[in-house]
Amino acid sequence: MSTLRGSRRLAVRLARHAALALPGASSPWTEAMRRELAYIADDRAALRWAFGCVLASYKARLAARSGSRTRDALRQAAASGAVMLVIGLAFLENAGGQTEPPRPIPDEPACDAQNTAADTGQMPATGAAGIAPDARRPARRPEASCTDPHSEMRMPLTSEPSRGESQ
Amino acid sequence: MPRKPNNSRQTRTLLAALLDSGLTWRHGYDLSKETGLRSGTLYPLLMRLSEQGLLESRWQEAERPGLPPRHAYRLTASGLALAREQELAAIAAERKEALA
Repeated sequence: MSTLRGSRRLAVRLARHAALALPGASSPWTEAMRRELAYIADDRAALRWAFGCVLASYKARLAARSGSRTRDALRQAAASGAVMLVIGLAFLENAGGQTEPPRPIPDEPACDAQNTAADTGQMPATGAAGIAPDARRPARRPEASCTDPHSEMRMPLTSEPSRGESQ
Repeated sequence: MPRKPNNSRQTRTLLAALLDSGLTWRHGYDLSKETGLRSGTLYPLLMRLSEQGLLESRWQEAERPGLPPRHAYRLTASGLALAREQELAAIAAERKEALA
C-alpha cells in the first residue's frame, strides 16, 4: 500500500468511503465499484472513478432514504384514513341512518301549563309576574290529556262575555 | 404528466451499448468508456436496471493473477426487448425529423 502514489491512494480511500456510505443491501455494488478500480491503469482516471463511486453511493443512500420517507408518509396516511373511517362509521351507527334532526309529531297533544294557567285565571307556579286574564277572550278548555278526569268539575271557567257587556 | 421510466438520455445510451454486446458480459469500466458515462451516473443506472429485472450480473474471475474478481453485466430477455423497442423508437424519431 505504501508503494501507491498519492492520487491512487486517495482513489482507494474514496472507494472505501463509498463502500461505507452505500446502504448495506447494495454491498455487491460497492464491491463492484471498488474492485473495478484495480483494472484502471491511469491514476487520474482511477481518481475520477473513485469520485464517481462516492457520488453513486450517496445517490443510492438518498434514494433509499427518500423511499423510506415515502413509505412512512403512505403508512401515516393509511392509518389516518382508517381512524377517520372508524369515527365516521361510529357516527353513522349512532345516528341510526338519520340525515336530519328529529321533527316534533304534530298530533301529539301538547301540554302548556303556562297558557292553561292564563286561560283559567290562575297564576303559574313558577311565574314571578303573572299576566292578567283577559276577560273578553273566550276561555279555552285545557287539553284533556293535560288534566285529570275530575278537573272539569273543579276548573273555574270564566263565563262567556255577553253582547251587552261588550257594548 | 408522469415521466416515462428508463427514457433518459443516459439510460438509452447504456441500453444501446448493452444491446450491441448482446449476450456478452460487460464490465463497469468498459461500459463507462464506451458510453462516456461516469461511474457516479453509470452505477445508479445499473442498480436500477438490475432492480427492475432488466439487467443480470455475476462475478467473474480475473483473467490475470493478482487482480480481484470483477462484476459483469448483460441485459436479460426483458432488458433486450426494452432496448430494441427504444432503438426502434429512436430510429422512427430520426426519420420523422428528417422528413420534417
